[in-house]
Amino acid sequence: MTWLIVSREIREFYRDGRFLFGAGLIVVLFVTAFLVGFEQRKNVFSEREVAQQLDYDDWINQPERHPHDAAHQGMHVFKPIPPLSFVDPGITNYVGSTQWLQAHRQTEVKFRPAQDATGLQRFGSLTPAWIIQMLGPLLIIILGFNSFSGEREQGTLRQLISLGVPSWKLLVGKAFALFLGALLLLAPLLMLAFWIAFGDVQAGDRYDVLIRLGLLVLGYLVYLGIFIFMVLTVSVLTPASRISLVVLLAVWIAGTILAPRVLVDVARTVYPTPNQVEFNAQLNQELRKEYTEAWKEHFGVEDRWGTDVPLSRWGEALQVDDQAGYNAIDRHFGALWNRYDDQQRLQEFFGFVFPMLSVRSYSMAITATDFSHHRDFAVSAEQHRRLMQNLISSELVEHADGQGEHHFDYKVSKEFWSRIPPFEYAAPSVLFALQRSLNSFAIMCATLLFSFVFALLSSRKLV
Amino acid sequence: MKNFLNILHNEWRIMVADRSLFLVSLLLIFLLGYALFIGFTATDVREERIRELAVQQEQKLSATAKQISLIESGREMPTAFSNPLNPALLGSGQGALHAVMPVSPLSPIALGQSDMLPDHYRVSIRNKTTFMYQTENENPWNLLTGRFDPVFVLVYLLPLFIFAVSYNLVSSEKEQGTLRMQLSQPVTLQLLMIAKLTARMVPVMIISILAITLPFLILRGTAVIASGQLLYGLVAVLIVLAYALFWFMLALFINSFGFSSAGNALILVGIWAFLVLVAPVLLNVYVSRVSPAPSRIELATETRLITIDGLNRYQELLSSDYRHVQESSMLLPQDGRFEVPERLQAFYLINKSVDEKVGTLLADFEMRLFAQQDLVERFGFVSPAILAYEGLLSIAGTGTRRYQHFTGQVNEYHQQWKDFFEPRITSGLAMTVADLGKLPRFTWRELDSGVVLIGSLMKALLIFLMVAVLFLLGLRNFAKATDIL
Repeated sequence: MTWLIVSREIREFYRDGRFLFGAGLIVVLFVTAFLVGFEQRKNVFSEREVAQQLDYDDWINQPERHPHDAAHQGMHVFKPIPPLSFVDPGITNYVGSTQWLQAHRQTEVKFRPAQDATGLQRFGSLTPAWIIQMLGPLLIIILGFNSFSGEREQGTLRQLISLGVPSWKLLVGKAFALFLGALLLLAPLLMLAFWIAFGDVQAGDRYDVLIRLGLLVLGYLVYLGIFIFMVLTVSVLTPASRISLVVLLAVWIAGTILAPRVLVDVARTVYPTPNQVEFNAQLNQELRKEYTEAWKEHFGVEDRWGTDVPLSRWGEALQVDDQAGYNAIDRHFGALWNRYDDQQRLQEFFGFVFPMLSVRSYSMAITATDFSHHRDFAVSAEQHRRLMQNLISSELVEHADGQGEHHFDYKVSKEFWSRIPPFEYAAPSVLFALQRSLNSFAIMCATLLFSFVFALLSSRKLV
Repeated sequence: MKNFLNILHNEWRIMVADRSLFLVSLLLIFLLGYALFIGFTATDVREERIRELAVQQEQKLSATAKQISLIESGREMPTAFSNPLNPALLGSGQGALHAVMPVSPLSPIALGQSDMLPDHYRVSIRNKTTFMYQTENENPWNLLTGRFDPVFVLVYLLPLFIFAVSYNLVSSEKEQGTLRMQLSQPVTLQLLMIAKLTARMVPVMIISILAITLPFLILRGTAVIASGQLLYGLVAVLIVLAYALFWFMLALFINSFGFSSAGNALILVGIWAFLVLVAPVLLNVYVSRVSPAPSRIELATETRLITIDGLNRYQELLSSDYRHVQESSMLLPQDGRFEVPERLQAFYLINKSVDEKVGTLLADFEMRLFAQQDLVERFGFVSPAILAYEGLLSIAGTGTRRYQHFTGQVNEYHQQWKDFFEPRITSGLAMTVADLGKLPRFTWRELDSGVVLIGSLMKALLIFLMVAVLFLLGLRNFAKATDIL
């Protein structure tokens, strides 16, 4: 019985120009998005690996020189690109990709792609995720806004009910038909992603990517499911197709276009973050304090790098100075990043009302392109910088400090360079992503359940 | 004319009675008001910060002047890395000054790129890569989402409000069966439609314009007039008018096919989704493919290679002994001159060579971005949303062009700064209090207002052209009214 309803609905879609036109357009966009994303990824992917290797080779092949000068040259490390970022680049365009590991100071991860783009970038970027999140619900609305109201207007609803079709069966049948429409959206994602993911992922990552893909599709099904039941509910409750459509479009616009921006401001108000100037001022102030204390404690002097500490203790002084800064740096960056986290969580939470907010968060976490993944990289890179710095300082303490005022004449032998290992960043596994996305997934599921129950209850009104 | 006014009057009575226009207007006023509030707040924050920077900078300068006097009179002892008399130190951080891009008085209209790109840089004798790569501290999630500013409400939402009052101009009359009755009067269908549309257009336009201009006049009127940007404001109003008209005419045109109300709504929202959501994104893809930004990774690699080269070349200087650290007498000038430590000289020279080589690379980035913006200007006609957005951004002074104009000036200023310090570093001239007064200051040159105005005006005119085409097409269809009836 239900199948009969489903097949009839599908036939109706097919005969209706709406479906072919809407779905056709979206599929074309989708394929374009995939090709664009994939091509860009391929270029950048190999480039980063090569650059990182070259960078380390140059480090290893340095001539004999003073180790601290070598630290001024430093190393560049590049953020690897997650295999599924072409599906959802998340915040990739708005965070840097390159970190310079150098003496004295933690630097920001630099070079945001958005800086090299025009203001148009702010309209969004053409990616499969964007299309599913923005246009997926619209497609479902177009297909389903008159699924009940239309029947009522044509008088076929009474006929159906008089045949003794239970209203819940009608609902489930129609929902399933819409669900197949939604699958049409996700099918290219599945097929293309399979092909791409297994075309060029190293064997070790295969399962990881496969699990992520599965989770991604699951998340999007839940997201689109919410809209399917919502569309059916509205179609049952409204007296005319015209009204049903207007109500649904209003909900779509409020949820996908208005709400995200409004909530950015809400989150910024609830959890304000310091701007660049304030942040630097606060950090520098704290650093000065820490430095002063450390120099006092170790050398009994007020001035940093003053005349009271002889050159023969500069290696040691570097050690003290660097160590002193670590805490303040970690505290300040940690606090700022936690604030970002809080802001995101607050917005995620509103996914109860506006599913767009939780699905975005979920999708970014699964594709490893959200802030928590970026943070993981930034922290690893900074750890590597400290490792480099510590090795250099202890080398100076061991040798250069013995040379008195000729401290800077000291040149370390070439073997030393290779004592600093290459930076090998292991991206967090899918478990990390799962942990990060649990919240948003739970919220989406709750909303799905709610919209399903609501649809069932409202379908009883048909009789 | 009399008929026209009659219809107008009648329509208004109906709209007042069913409260639809009232609700739409109220919501529109509320959203625009809220967006303006966000715009004003963000602008105030930026202005406050720039004021603060200026104050801090002057405080720092006078503190430095005081320190110089104390050292000159022997009451204070400098340290190796904090010695304001040493030009290599003063120019590289201790005395570094800010280059600032002022906030435009019309900036609340659009936050544009201001949440991402810095409006100030701290310029020093170090190479560009040390200060030109900073970005604003903003949660990337928020950058990705965008803000709720007036330009967002106007470009994205205003069309939807327009649809809400005009999607069923004919269809509702037809569905209620009142259309034939009305046409039995001595009016043509065309006149009826134009009058019905006008009845909706006038209040929506007046409300959108007033909701934006009134708060501006009250809160920033004097600032706008004082800065001579009143014309800018007028052009912004013109863009909004043209843009609103475009969507009204589109509604008229779609109505002229005689679809059902639901059909009209669906087609209109479909077109809106394409023009406002999809077209800009597609153009962005096209623009970044035709004129792709050079590789930042290559830039990083290049920077490193130059640094290595410098370290090798100035090995001698770098290995110099640092006796001055031990003998404080060496930190003080003799007869206004002293030996700038060779290591500091070496660092200066390395930075200089990085600048020379990286300068060309960075110029390439600027060029490409410039070319991208050119393409956006050239192909903006694919969607009135792009035209309106770009036009309003450049009026608000938060668009790509103005930021590029700023970085160009920062480059010049950086050169001036280095030119000032280089002879002092190479010949070891000690800095004096008088020298502090001679430090090069950054003076901002605004974009040529003629260029900005004409650029934005052209965009408004382009939208008006689209309006005219849609209007004529709509009228032609209504003339063949048989399909509708």
